[in-house]
Amino acid sequence: MISVLVTGATTSIGERLVRSLLADTRVRHVLAVDKQPTHRALPFSNNRLTYTSVDLTKSRRVHELLFGPARDLGVEVVVHLAQSRSAYAVGRGVHARNVEALRSILDLSDRHPTIRRVVVHSFAVVYRVGLDLPVRVSEDHPLDLAPHVPQYVRDRVEADLSACTRMGLADCEIVVLRCAEALGPGTGSQLFDFLDAPVAFRPLGFDPMVNVATIADIVRAMELATHGSGEGVFNIPGFDTLPLSECARLWGTPMFPAPGPFIRRAYNLRHWLGGGEFSYGLNRKRMHFGLVLDGTRARQELGYVPAHPVDWPVGGPIAG
Amino acid sequence: MPVPPHIARVISSWLGGPGASVRADRLAFADAGHGFDQFGLHPDFVAMGSSLVAPLYDRYFRVVSHGAEHIPKSGPAVLAANHSGSIPVDGAMLWTDVYRQTDPPRIPRPVADYFVSTLPVISTLFARCGVVGGSRGNARALLEAGELLMIFPEGVPGIGKHFSQRYRLQEWRQGHCELAIRHGAPVVPVGIVGAEEQMPQIARVPLPFSPIPYLPITATPLPLPVRYHIWYGEPIRLDRDYRPEDADDPEKVRAAAARVKAAVQALLDRGKKERKGIFK
Repeated sequence: MISVLVTGATTSIGERLVRSLLADTRVRHVLAVDKQPTHRALPFSNNRLTYTSVDLTKSRRVHELLFGPARDLGVEVVVHLAQSRSAYAVGRGVHARNVEALRSILDLSDRHPTIRRVVVHSFAVVYRVGLDLPVRVSEDHPLDLAPHVPQYVRDRVEADLSACTRMGLADCEIVVLRCAEALGPGTGSQLFDFLDAPVAFRPLGFDPMVNVATIADIVRAMELATHGSGEGVFNIPGFDTLPLSECARLWGTPMFPAPGPFIRRAYNLRHWLGGGEFSYGLNRKRMHFGLVLDGTRARQELGYVPAHPVDWPVGGPIAG
Repeated sequence: MPVPPHIARVISSWLGGPGASVRADRLAFADAGHGFDQFGLHPDFVAMGSSLVAPLYDRYFRVVSHGAEHIPKSGPAVLAANHSGSIPVDGAMLWTDVYRQTDPPRIPRPVADYFVSTLPVISTLFARCGVVGGSRGNARALLEAGELLMIFPEGVPGIGKHFSQRYRLQEWRQGHCELAIRHGAPVVPVGIVGAEEQMPQIARVPLPFSPIPYLPITATPLPLPVRYHIWYGEPIRLDRDYRPEDADDPEKVRAAAARVKAAVQALLDRGKKERKGIFK
């Protein structure tokens, strides 16, 4: 029996993870944390659940959380999901939420009396995409450390590397899960926002392969990592691998090929009119060259196999 | 992609008859769940590609295949061929020939130069037909999945060589042998005779600001209707002669590559000797 602390608990993935952990008889207590005030937090309650509103961008608050309620509840595993979901959000505050919060958790967990494991939610967006790079991406694939990448990507790479560089050096085990995009509202998925628009544009003449996951599969991977042993970096692919155009067709979104400069301006305009979070600048290379996560390591070491196909609004998988 | 899979199927049936789709349906490939493999291959596009190339293969270049029984029926393998002709028609002919000569059909996975991935429409169409970008990771993943790789170890210098250099193999890269040794795959040498004369190149203009490395200046505006002879040699069993760890030994890899190059050159010499003329 373990107690688990979940940061970012009010996000789509966090909320689903908390529900799953509460349904798990191996979990004694769940300490759910997010910045939302208590009355606007989780839509369910349980005597094995405690919700605490904490601003993770303040290291003092993180300290008080870990050496307060977390220690009192005997939390052994921290699942860190808290990340800014906006592709356009920039600044020190965003960096503090995306990177510094994780650094604080890792620092404090190392000398914490009860925490023995930290599971970090990372993203496929940390991988570099390019014409000279493989389509199927394993964990040793180059990360996107280009100087011009938006803060959204840079912060995710920095957070990922912050966790990776501590592996083997810290007393607590660190697991980094680089997850495929989960097609669901509130997940921060750029692809979801792209497909959820009334129309979508893709670069003229290009139709890359994409791999998409469901919240259920991401949550399953986190549960396996929570209960597992050992540490490492794991790709968490989704069930569905298909071309972008097929993705749009199954989602029911009309998609039109267009020149890159037009697409960039169209999506920037959409954002500034309050219409969406998709950024073409962020996804330009992904919309030219494919990227499919290789989940061999997660299958072998965590026992994770994607099992939940996307519930496509228009049609299901053609084969397989 | 210019067209969705069902349109590709209609086009292939229209051009190649119902048999084109029936053959493609028998293709063994790793379906990633929506009818495509992870690299974008789709059998309906293979059928369409094959049907589009068929008039060139059957009537224009009148391809004659020799020794196709040497193509392994299953398991990982590497086809290593000479590259020539100013434009990569030889790749399309070899791709079609392997697809036609194997039963059950196998689709070779051509490993293309990086710049191919940057070409709109073409890159997508090629990917649907099985072409992959020339990264080591892609080749490794395909061999691990038991696929048949199609590699031109001369690369762009082969296709861009001057007419005076015809049938003289250019610098022979070694990556295909390293991969074959590491993954226990046999290498099938392939000599393509005819392509070297199809479009004599007399000069080339570098294109420094384009993904395409140069513009070939050729003696003819279109390829000549030369006859292609595709010669497959006996598989070179690098998987038997070397241990996987030998892939890290530069000397052994170099020796293996030299062996493959010599086998391809021998096929070219034989093919040239046995043909009745450039157009026959």
